[in-house]
Amino acid sequence: MSRPLAHLSDEALVALAARSDSSALAELYDRYGRIAYGLALRILRDETLAEDAVQDGFLAVWRTAARFMPERGKASAWILTLVHRRAVDVVRREERRRAESLERIPEPGGGSVDEDAWLRLQRGRVQDALRQLPDPQREAIELAYYGGFSQSELAERLGQPLGTIKSRMFSGLARLRELLGEPGLEMSWNP
Amino acid sequence: MESLNVHDLTAAYALDALDADEARAYEAHLAGCERCRSELATLGEAASSLAWAVEAPAPPARLRSAILTQAAAERENVVPLPVSRSRLFRATAAVAAVAACAAVAFGIWAAVLDSRSQTREASTWTVVIRGGRATIGVSELARAPRGKTYEAWVIPAGGRAQPAGLFSGGGARTVVRLTQPVPQGATIAATVERAGGVSAPTTTPLFTARV
Repeated sequence: MSRPLAHLSDEALVALAARSDSSALAELYDRYGRIAYGLALRILRDETLAEDAVQDGFLAVWRTAARFMPERGKASAWILTLVHRRAVDVVRREERRRAESLERIPEPGGGSVDEDAWLRLQRGRVQDALRQLPDPQREAIELAYYGGFSQSELAERLGQPLGTIKSRMFSGLARLRELLGEPGLEMSWNP
Repeated sequence: MESLNVHDLTAAYALDALDADEARAYEAHLAGCERCRSELATLGEAASSLAWAVEAPAPPARLRSAILTQAAAERENVVPLPVSRSRLFRATAAVAAVAACAAVAFGIWAAVLDSRSQTREASTWTVVIRGGRATIGVSELARAPRGKTYEAWVIPAGGRAQPAGLFSGGGARTVVRLTQPVPQGATIAATVERAGGVSAPTTTPLFTARV
């Protein structure tokens, strides 16, 4: 597959999508469609619903690209957030059985060798970081993000005050950010 | 909802763990609260990184065409504005500058100066070490200039840099498995060198990471 825009940054692609360049949307899909689909499938446990969530999420990218603000975070995070929000909306509406914990979905590959290697690399990093969180923080974050539970539902389900759930989510995400920023490494860049 | 309580909804909002009323209240609050906007930028990146922990099967090909067909249908009356390369690259440079100021969750940003086109691109470098072997992942790494290559290095504590692999960049994602084991305390680095590689680094590293 030819990818003429492969050299552009995600943020440049979003700027092109805002100008109705559909090849930029195609390139964003080629970069993040698979991970977005995996995420939606993880939440929804249904291939058709997952496809719908990914489609709605990427169409939201297309419709709202002009409002994307790079100072509020990376384009990849924004795209995945749009897909995640739709998957969570559907899982709550459908009252589907929700994930209890991070469970493995068989991976039939299908990507290029490079893409598979990249996904394995990123998955290893994030899974390593998640494992380093204290159990109560990891549990709250996983049930919220992969299970689609609201903070009130979590408080009830885990038998904890709402304030405790909020602080577990906050501490867990803040720690995750630190761990992902420096995965046991000190990083620096010399211009 | 009490405005006092709204501040501490940021993590739940980042995880999409608010119900619809709470989310609306938080979004209304966000418009006027710089502290929450800044915190959300940080926690939101951490939350969305969770997507990468999921094992992702490839979606069916029809999904891509469904999205692109629907997108085209929605804009069929819109004529794309021409974008000159220079304007586009200025936009990219501005994004890189903003990103360099913000602490980003997913590694660090490095600016790569392409000597031919004078464009700056933001690359994100990440390193994973398993059992003493390292893999480097770089997103949006500009292709090495003609006659040049990227070269990875493993520098043991107090020792000399060992060549650890060549790579050319140029794609959206570059993954490099280092050919040298990485002892505790070593530094990993990458430089631009002449094609074919060299036995000791001759330029300032684009990236360094100490284990």
